[in-house]
Amino acid sequence: MQEFEPKIVAFVCNWCTYAGADLAGTSRIKYATNVRIVRFPCTGRIDYMLILKAFQNGADGVIVSGCHPNDCHYTSGNFHARRRWIVFNELLELLGFDKRRLFFSWVSAAEGAKWANLVNEVVTEVRKLGPFNEYEELSKINVNSIGEICNV
Amino acid sequence: MARIGVFVCHCGENISSTVDCAKVAEIASNYPGVVYSIDYKYMCSDPGQNLIKEAIQKHKLTGVVVAACSPRMHEPTFRKATAEAGINPYLCEMANLREHCSWVHFREDSTTEKAAELVRVLVEKVKHNEELYPIKVPITKTALVIGGGIGGIQAALDIANSGHKVIMVEKNPSIGGKMAQLSETFPTLDCSQCILTPRMVEVAQHPNITLYTYAEVESVDGFIGNFKVTIRQKAKSVDHKACTGCGLCIEKCPIKKIPDEFNAGLGNRAAIYVPFPQAVPNKPVIDRNNCTYFLKGKCGLCNKVCPADAIHYEQEDEFIKVDVGAIVAATGFDIKHSDFLPEYGYGKYPDVIDGLQFERLASASGPTLGVLKRPSDGKEPESVVFIACAGSRDPAKGIPYCSKICCMYTAKHAMLFKHKNHHGNATVFYMDIRAGGKMYDEFVRRAIEEDDVNYIRGRVSRIYEKNGKLIVCGVDTLLNSRSVEIEADLVVLATAAVANSDSEELAQKLHISYDQYHFFSEAHPKLRPVETNTAGIMLAGACQAPKDIPDTVSQASGTAAKVVALFSQDELTREPLIAYVNNNTCVGCFLCQSVCPYLAIEKEEIRRRDGTLVKTVAKINPGLCQGCGTCVALCRSKSIDIHGYTNRQIYAEVSALFNRREYAGV
Amino acid sequence: MSELINKIRQFFASQTIDLFIGYKKGRFGEGKPAFFTKPEQLKELVFDDKCIVNLAVYLRKPELKKFSKIGILANFGTLRALLQLAAENQIVDGQYLIFTVVDGKVLEFTNLKAIEEYVSKNLPKPNPERVALLKEIESKPREERWDWWTRELSSCIRCYACRAACPLCYCEQCLVECNQPQWVEVPPTGIGNLEWHIVRAMHLAGRCIGCGECEAACPMEIPIGLLTQKLNMTIISNFGQIPGTKLEPNYALSTFKVDDKENFIR
Repeated sequence: MQEFEPKIVAFVCNWCTYAGADLAGTSRIKYATNVRIVRFPCTGRIDYMLILKAFQNGADGVIVSGCHPNDCHYTSGNFHARRRWIVFNELLELLGFDKRRLFFSWVSAAEGAKWANLVNEVVTEVRKLGPFNEYEELSKINVNSIGEICNV
Repeated sequence: MARIGVFVCHCGENISSTVDCAKVAEIASNYPGVVYSIDYKYMCSDPGQNLIKEAIQKHKLTGVVVAACSPRMHEPTFRKATAEAGINPYLCEMANLREHCSWVHFREDSTTEKAAELVRVLVEKVKHNEELYPIKVPITKTALVIGGGIGGIQAALDIANSGHKVIMVEKNPSIGGKMAQLSETFPTLDCSQCILTPRMVEVAQHPNITLYTYAEVESVDGFIGNFKVTIRQKAKSVDHKACTGCGLCIEKCPIKKIPDEFNAGLGNRAAIYVPFPQAVPNKPVIDRNNCTYFLKGKCGLCNKVCPADAIHYEQEDEFIKVDVGAIVAATGFDIKHSDFLPEYGYGKYPDVIDGLQFERLASASGPTLGVLKRPSDGKEPESVVFIACAGSRDPAKGIPYCSKICCMYTAKHAMLFKHKNHHGNATVFYMDIRAGGKMYDEFVRRAIEEDDVNYIRGRVSRIYEKNGKLIVCGVDTLLNSRSVEIEADLVVLATAAVANSDSEELAQKLHISYDQYHFFSEAHPKLRPVETNTAGIMLAGACQAPKDIPDTVSQASGTAAKVVALFSQDELTREPLIAYVNNNTCVGCFLCQSVCPYLAIEKEEIRRRDGTLVKTVAKINPGLCQGCGTCVALCRSKSIDIHGYTNRQIYAEVSALFNRREYAGV
Repeated sequence: MSELINKIRQFFASQTIDLFIGYKKGRFGEGKPAFFTKPEQLKELVFDDKCIVNLAVYLRKPELKKFSKIGILANFGTLRALLQLAAENQIVDGQYLIFTVVDGKVLEFTNLKAIEEYVSKNLPKPNPERVALLKEIESKPREERWDWWTRELSSCIRCYACRAACPLCYCEQCLVECNQPQWVEVPPTGIGNLEWHIVRAMHLAGRCIGCGECEAACPMEIPIGLLTQKLNMTIISNFGQIPGTKLEPNYALSTFKVDDKENFIR
């Protein structure tokens, strides 16, 4: 049987992680093909709703990555993003969301190798977890239960 | 209806060796909205760009996706080509098939598959791209130069000589900076003041330069082309318009034992003082922290003797508001002072001094009038030990970086000593000799070979006093790491060059970034070394990193060129990728205000025609916004969006990622 | 109570206020929000521990625009909501005369600064039962937690009563009404419900004053207050900023510290 190939989305900032991924390219560091990068100006621009939308659209794992603290091109976008992530992370934890599929990272423009490693690690971890069905099932199960409620 | 063109580049074989470019173009041709799709060997070449231009016109394209290298590489190229074909350049997007795909994957089906998906994502994005137009901002053609050292002086003169107004702010009573304190300069050994003071006078007399000495920058608002700066003119207690600079007050001042900053603490000055004889302006200020009149309310001698009635005790700090278009930070550096190297007895033994103190001792205008006398007993030293890297390149001291200037000035110091005392012994302990620079290595060789300076490669572990001599214990790593002990009359430490103690505060006022050592950060270490990340604020000299005089002067001239280039236009053109507010839905909670790193979010009152206030909403100042989008993600009602990365664009990208469902869901 | 009523009568008489918002007895003995425009109506005014509705929710309603000065009988949640609304630039200090009754004594606040002082001195501890309930949910294995919440949220009918009852959900266009793009699915599907409650919790994180009105208003009895409560606890313990206690903006998510701690970023 063919091995499960997870679908991974990466939301990255333009100045650090996007450039870091560029560096991985110019350095010809090979990594898994599973990842699709979406470019943002800054981690501060990354809306948590987009993370949910990525899962809804079939992502099995999501990477969110930007400049290390103190490295932000805009000086503080990543600090604001970090606070948001801390809060969002707690909310997902309480909801029992499968957080093993959501990865936060700092990858600088100089860390091409770190980017490649990160992608490979994420792909390996998510491959072990298997397809992310919980989100899809959520839809189906709930629609049924709403039907039940309406029938009562 | 969207009419999108897709252009897949082979990049020679860079992309096509692992991605089947023809197949990508074929797949893309089936994406909804794509009316034209083609692959080509070199899209960025002239024929490649013509291919795009022709297709735009022939197929009446409303959007272009170039699937090639990183947009960080060629986005401007293809946007320009798009504009040349007659449609708005911001209707062009790039899919990164090279750095993010072909170079990082092997040739297999999944690589081509990924390439096609990357194209699909960008096709969906470009459908939502809007026509954007560059932002025009007016420019105030006056520059503010902070710091009146050689860096500030050079930048100010270059800008002023190009016909623009300059305002210079210097926190000390005189301009001149560190260079004024130096005795001679390497590698030519010409007298520092002889080459500097004419420049200082030029600044003072230049019709385009307004000089504020004994003044500091209090606050900075605004943005490139339109800064509003408040300068704090500290109270000099002397009316410089009336003062003739006769110096009678200084002569009569009873408080004369204040350690003289200009002489690095080796001499004394009065409470009313001019820092040095060639100071610009050559008029005194009162040091209120040491003046008896200010401390005890009596004395007033200077006032009594002043023939010009220029002493004004009641003077207060004055705040001067100026409008400037560009700011040059040229605030210089400092060196590490005592208590930093206890093992070398620095601060404990008076004859262990730092490099700046040696400069003053060797200077003809210094406290000893150029005769090398050691501080403890005034004896002329016979044996002097110079220690390079005293604190620099030492992670344990928190200074892992090289202070850059010490190798050269240590060689200079040793030479100056040998020139004054031909029979004396000069010994230099060093880690490496870093003498990169025009005539620099020759200079060091001259010290070693002609002036017979004894260079020992090794570190000094300890210095202690014995029978009136300083015993320097070190190691010679070139002689089987044999330990050496040298008797010295004077020890000179090349202590580390560090950022000014108030550099962090100034950086925060200017909204510029600074590194972990509190040196100001340049926008790019190689390609934008004189600009900061804050548009319109540039750097000159050692406030960025330790630098010698030629480097400082070159950077200052570079910075001046940047300022003059900025001032050569009447309006500034900026990329329109900035945030904007939807007035209809903004409820004016202003929680976004504090996330903006550039203070670009202002309040705007929406009024009816009759003038009644409807509501107050957020407004983005297009001159200040740099387009990070942090406010966009914060806004609860999605009333802020950002051009180039709009909610609709990114939502469309995310929806198109995996083709799991109809991605027309926007 | 009669002391309070007399006071308000005087304010009406001197035309200091032209509207008073308080409570009257409802059908089930609950405190029902009431709007008094004439002094003679005040005999119906009540204030007891059944008056839980957060009256600050009415202050941004367009119907109130015609009144020049408004008196409010505020419970503790309303006081905090007033502060938070002021910090968010939504109400103007000086337009309100605010009263509360503590142990039978009437407290009168002529400005919001006075409320700020009072609130900061009297901040209650979180309800131990709720904290225990949160702990209990958090101690479940992840999958059980997920099942529990998806089951709870599956009954949401998306009536948005929680939004209407919240004094801090005052946006003129809520995110769920955004359809360009459609951030939250409109029909009450599982994903849409989850998204809505995540959005609600995230929008109130660092702003929620913990009055519990959202949960009280929910016709399906979903314990949605736990979400905001949890996030507030996170914010207070991580960042030390307590919503609804300061007149100046004190929003944890629009500020940061360089050394904010987290343990999940690689």
